[in-house]
Order: sequence, then structure tokens, then C-alpha cells
Amino acid sequence: MSRTFDVVIIGGGVVGCAVAWYLAHFDLSILLLEKEKDVCCGVSKANTGILHSRSYWTPSTLKGELHLRSLALFAQAERELDLCFPRVGALTVALTREEVKFLEMLKKRGRIRGAEIMGPREACQMEPFLNPSLRACYYDPETGVISPFALTLALAEFALLNGVNFAFGEEVTGFEKDGNKIKILSKKNRYWSKWVVNCTGLFSTQLAHRSGDSIPPQRFFRGEYFVLDRECAALTRHVLYPVPTEESKGILVSPTPEGNILVGPNFEPVEDEDTATTFRGLKEVEDGARKLVPSLPLEKTITTFSGLRPTLPERDFRIFFSSSIPGLLHLCGIESPGLTASLGIAEYVGEKLEDAGLTLREKAVVPRAAFPVFRTCDFRERERLIAENPDWGRIICRCEEVTLAEVKHALRASIPAVTLDGLKRRVRVMAGRCQGSFCGMHLPALMAEELGCDEKEIVKSTENAFYVLGKIEKVVKDHASAC
Amino acid sequence: MPRRVDAQVVVVGGGPAGMAAALSAFESGAYPVFLLERGKHLGGILNQCIHPGFGLHLFGEELTGPEYAEKFIERLAKSRVEVLLETTVLEITADRVVKAVNAQGVFEFRAQNVILGMGCREKTRGMLRIPGHRPAGIFTAGLAQYLVNIEGYLPGKEVVILGSGDIGLIMARRLALEGACVKAVVEIKDSLSGLLRNYVQCLLDFDIPLLLSHTVTNIVGRERIEGVVVSKVNGNGEVVSGSERFMECDTLLLSVGLIPENELSKNAHIPLCPFTGGPLVDEYFSCDREGFFACGNVVAVFDLVDYVTVVSEMVGKKVGVSAPKRRVRYFLTPTSGVSQVVPQRIQEGKEGFLFLRSQHGFHDAHLVFSFQEKIFQTMELPLCYPSEMIKINLQDINWPSGEGEIQLSIKGEKICGIR
Repeated sequence: MSRTFDVVIIGGGVVGCAVAWYLAHFDLSILLLEKEKDVCCGVSKANTGILHSRSYWTPSTLKGELHLRSLALFAQAERELDLCFPRVGALTVALTREEVKFLEMLKKRGRIRGAEIMGPREACQMEPFLNPSLRACYYDPETGVISPFALTLALAEFALLNGVNFAFGEEVTGFEKDGNKIKILSKKNRYWSKWVVNCTGLFSTQLAHRSGDSIPPQRFFRGEYFVLDRECAALTRHVLYPVPTEESKGILVSPTPEGNILVGPNFEPVEDEDTATTFRGLKEVEDGARKLVPSLPLEKTITTFSGLRPTLPERDFRIFFSSSIPGLLHLCGIESPGLTASLGIAEYVGEKLEDAGLTLREKAVVPRAAFPVFRTCDFRERERLIAENPDWGRIICRCEEVTLAEVKHALRASIPAVTLDGLKRRVRVMAGRCQGSFCGMHLPALMAEELGCDEKEIVKSTENAFYVLGKIEKVVKDHASAC
Repeated sequence: MPRRVDAQVVVVGGGPAGMAAALSAFESGAYPVFLLERGKHLGGILNQCIHPGFGLHLFGEELTGPEYAEKFIERLAKSRVEVLLETTVLEITADRVVKAVNAQGVFEFRAQNVILGMGCREKTRGMLRIPGHRPAGIFTAGLAQYLVNIEGYLPGKEVVILGSGDIGLIMARRLALEGACVKAVVEIKDSLSGLLRNYVQCLLDFDIPLLLSHTVTNIVGRERIEGVVVSKVNGNGEVVSGSERFMECDTLLLSVGLIPENELSKNAHIPLCPFTGGPLVDEYFSCDREGFFACGNVVAVFDLVDYVTVVSEMVGKKVGVSAPKRRVRYFLTPTSGVSQVVPQRIQEGKEGFLFLRSQHGFHDAHLVFSFQEKIFQTMELPLCYPSEMIKINLQDINWPSGEGEIQLSIKGEKICGIR
């Protein structure tokens, strides 16, 4: 691989991959550098996964503008990526007379056909578990739900299919001017490019400081979540929003594209990248969510997690060229609605680069084809798949009904799973109600065989997140020889 | 097209319950009998239980799990029970169509009788909502048992075990034998969850500390687990502030309870019991839906596999000779001191057993039966623990005349700690 490119994208989160997707439509040589072993490992992986509609855009901000632009791009992306994000619709719940005014504002702001403000009776007919003492609800039919990982991976796969290069385990440490190019320094390598896009989420301001640019450091606000068993799917078919606070959209109860219910997030400042969950935080989420759904069955929790919002003081995105390294574009403060706005951000980045002198010549692109998901196939389709390949009849994960065919595909795909988390996020093994107590028995041997490595090299996420120490006799022998 | 197969009996799950039920149904004249098992081998969880202690009641000898399973596997091989391995049931309809897949394709069994024997699964960290990071190195005890005993892996070197359930105790010993350092078994309750004999043989004999009234309140480590925060818990289950201490470890095992695995039963609209988590059954283990039976841990978590076998054989027999029309006379409800009772329905009350679990340890206690707010029978219980099922012969109960709800309670002195 040559080490010189037209564009280098740093960061394989949803924004970095969206930029790769967008630029893959043009005749360019592109490299995406990601410090982890997989795409979607930071901010992108842990959020509410909502496709926020026009009702929720924030006027006179960059994030608002890119949010609207992104919504206009989703149909194209869903076509090219062979993905569909269900527009399940949303109900924003007002509990006081004061809050009802906000609903009117949402309606006015969205100007969405079919949107309406309804009373408690009508709202509770739509969603019987809603708090019956609500004042009013704003119904918005255009809100959707997104699997952040599925979107990010699909964007990356499309980009790869259309010529974008990916390098994982590449942590960028700084930049140097080198003639009319930028020299990109990583812990392992050097790369050269005329244009560099910094999409490093939590680390974007740190990297901007490394290139000598002055920007206030991002503050991180943590949000904690509950994931409920898919058995609770009837709890709500719509995304349930509270009336937002000054700081955030508040604590939601939402269906997920995979059929679970997601509850959260709260909003709490944290030092460094602390994604631990806490008693207090989860309690706060519980209390908040019960205002929307008083009978929330938290005993059906299958897991909890937390994610971070990287924010700037102005609470807006800031996308700007470096003043010291020409051609280096920084994307900072990409917080909510970053997932929804990702496609719009990508288009905006393309325009910024073009304005600064990059030539964008459109080329023909190949669409991505999604791999079948056994769980969502009917029995006739399943029969057909098994006849084609018997691995479709071998169930590896009983909770999510994942087959050996899907696991093998994920391990052999163009951007393969190389960690247990990567496998989980692609095909949902270990993501069900037993959280891997069953499939976790078979996955290490299966992965080791497919990846051609020893079981002790199988990790959950990062380098040192090993799953087991290895075969007992080997561990004992190694120990004995070390003594 | 999916293959359609007519069956007199379909048994879902080839663990101890399913094997015994399928065999006895076949031996009682049912044909054809299909036994569907998702694993590569029959035996279910028995295969990973390589410790002895199985079969004392039934066979009068101390067997390991695989030895116990082998007795049934051999008999099945000689029978004409159709065993389908690596076959996963995905759906059961209320009118007993069992849809399963394997490498050959999709099968649709139209069954006159369905026997549920899916067993149970382990509670996870997520269900307990233990806060903290989400590193590698957190396993349910049964998963760790499989990884050690079947796959031959060492999960880690410094181990903390949360929960004093039997699998946790067994695994404490197992890991100690493999050279790991088991730092402690941490139990939120003020008494042991598992069997007393396991406490003695697995913890005391290996100098592994048991911390009662303690729990894990935080998990530390971003890649592999680096340690846990262990805190004291008061009588109301609240964490005592200031009691937190950090315990370094590279592995956390959870042995915090089992849940009967009834997603397929719910799918078939079979009514479940809120106390056991399994189907509501009568003394023949027939469910509140015609043609459905359930046996083993899918009904309620049993303490001894021997009882699972006894019950499952009875179910198989009943299915084989086609039971008369079901007519329930009594409904049993656990009240104070009793956490669960199986069966919950009684037809005649002449054959079979009552299996109860107490809420706490009790000594000098009585099991009290009441009907229409009157006590009609009491039985002495010198000593009982939640971990050990109380087993009563149904013929020892003097059933009252009439029909309706019977309440069961235990009155006695509570046991704290370990006695």
C-alpha cells in the first residue's frame, strides 16, 4: 500500500465512516485510520440510536443545519447501504401545562404532515403504558430508530467496496507540514496526504491541540442506559421523549431496531473517558423514565451501559481548518444529534474540502448488499438458506437465533470482526437475554479457528481484554518454565 | 418447504429431564417419540458437571454428571426414540406445532403431546445491574464450568465469586484445583444459597472465605477486569456506606440464581407461575394447556437431578398411556415462609410429590396446610434450607373435601449464618 493519499480520515466512528462513504463517490485515493480494532468503538457505539426528525432540529446552529441536510440524505444512504431504519414515529410527552407550549413549538418547527398534538386519552390509546396523568403528547411520524453500529459498519463497508482503504490499530499522534502535504504520524507508521479530516470524537480537541490549534477542550457528559429484554417490545412501539431540558433531550424510552427497549440517558459531567455505569446514574434514569412509563419493567433488564457526549462550551459542532497545518480539517463538539447528522456532516466536509481546493470528480459506485439475518427470515427463506449452506441450520446463539453461517460471515467479511464485541455488534451473539452464557461456550474456539490464532489471543475489545488465559496445560507449562 | 412430521410425543431438550421423559414415554408405548437437542451431545448440563454426587437417591451410587447421563444415553441408543442432535426448536405454537432447524433443514412436528425440558439459564450481571465498567473476565459460573471442564481453558488466575449457589461453590473448588486463587465467595444474603455439603467440600476444605451479607458494588477495569468493590449489606439489603473495600481479581464469576427457560412456553401461550418462573403444572406435570407437559428445571429449579429423573419418568409414562381428561381440584399457593411450590395444581393427589422451597433457613419448623382459612394439616420440619427442596409424598396429605385454593406456609425459627 502506498503511504500517500488524497484524503486521510482519522477516526472510524459514524462520522469518519460517513465522510468515507461520501468521499467514496468521487475519484480520490482515501485512507481511514482507526486506533481500535474495529469501527464504531467510541461515542458512536453508545447512544440512544434515534433518527431525530425535523421537529427536533435546533435553528441557527451548525448542528441544526447539518441535521436537516442529513435527513435529506438518508433515503440515498439507505438505498446504497441496503439498510432500512424504521420510522417508528415518536411521542413527546408533556406532563405540565408549561410543557404543552413546547409541544406546540415542536409542531411548528417540524411542519411534518401527519404530526399532531393529542390529549391523554388518544395518546394512551396509541401507547397504553404511557403515564395516564400526562397533559398532552406531540405525535411525530417521521422519527426513526437506528442501530448505530449497523449504520457505521455499512458506511464503512460501502466505502471499502468503493476503494477507500482502512487501517486499524493506528493511533494518530500528530502532524507535520511536509512540502505541500501533511505528514501524519501514528504510533506505528507515517502517512502523507494533502487533506486530513479529524473525526476522532472524544479526542478531537486533543488532536487539534497537537496540530497547534486553539480550541477549548471538550467536556464529556455521560449518559447511562438500560437495555430491556425483547419480551418487553410491546411496552412502546414509538420513541417516547420527555420535554427536553436546557442540557439534553432528556431520558427516553425507545424501541430499538433489534426489538429491545432502550431506556436513558441521564446527563452527568465526567472527568476523562469514564464509561462506567453507577448506582446513582441508573437510579436517575429509572426515575426519569418512570415519568413516561410508570410501570417500566426494569426487572427485565438484560444489560446496562453508558456513553459519552463530547461537548464544546457553545454546545454546537465546530468544523474548521487548522490555522497551522493547511488542509487539516477538525470536527469538534460532535454530540447529539451527531448520529442523525452524520451524513450531513459528511456532505459539509466534502464541500469544505472542495472549497479549499480539492477536486471532486464523481465516479460510478457499487452499492453494498446486506447479508441475510436468520432471525428476520420466514421459515421458507430459512429452508432455502439451509439448502444452500447447512451452517444456516446451526444455531449458535439461542436468544437471538444467530446461525453459524452468520458468525462465519462476520469473521470473514470485508471489515471482519476480530473481537468478541465486534462479533456481538455485527450478528448479536452474546447480545441477548443470556448475555453470552450459552454461545460464550463455543465462540472462543470458533473464533480462534476462523482467525487462525490461539484462544488466548481472543479478546473482548482491546489488546488486553483477553477472554481466557488459554488451555490449562499450556498455562501451567508456561508458568513452570517461567519459574 | 419445511418437512412435516407427525409425532405422538415431541420432547424439547435432551438433558436429564428430556432423556428420562422420552425413554419412559417410549417404554410405555408411545410411538413415534422425538427427542430434540440443540447441543452436539445428549446430557445437557450433566456433561460439564464432572464432580461426583449424582445418582445417590436413584441408583444408590455416587456418579459424576457424565456417568449419570451415560445411563440414559445407552438406553436411548437401544430404544427406538428418534434423537435429533444439533437441532434447535425455534417456535412452538399453542396447537403443538414444533418448528425446529438443523443442518438438514426446517422441521415442523405436529405433536399430540409436547414435553418441555428446556432446563434453565443463569442470571447475568445485567439482570443484577452491577454498576461499573464492562471489561472481559466476567462469567456466569456455569459458563466458566463449561470453559474449564469441556474446553479445558483456564479463565483467570485470581477469582472472586459472587453468589453462593451450588455451581459457584463447585467452581470455587474446581478453579482452586487448577491452580487459580479464589479470593472469596461473596453472598448478599445472611445465609448460604447452595447445599451445605458443597460449602464444606468446596470452600472449607480449600480455605476459601465466604462473605455473607456482602455484595459486589462496582466492577473496575476497562480491558480485562482488574478488581471489584465488595460492600457489606444490612438486613434490608442496603449497602452499608463506608464498608466498601477493593478486591483485586482478574475474573468474576456469578452464581446468583437460575431462571427456568420458558421463552418457547410463552410463545405457546402456556401459563407460567410467578414464583417458579416455570409452567403451572399438576401432579402429573401437565400444563394448563392441553397436550403440554413440562419436567425438570424448566418447571422449577430442582436441587437434585435424581428428582428430575423421577418426575420426568412419571411424565413420560403418563403421556405414553394417554392421560384421562384433566380435572383440577386444588390450587396450591405459597404463603409466608414458602418461596415456591410444585405442582401448583392437584387433580387426585394420590400419586407423585410436592416439591417446596422455604424462603429462609428454619429450624424446629412446621409446614402448614390451610384450606378456606382453616388449617387442615401440619407437618414437622426439623431443619430446612432454601437450597434444599422439601419433598412430600402426595398420598401423605389428607386432602380436604371440596375444591379450591390451598395455602402453604412454614412457621419456625429463622436460621442466620451457617449452621
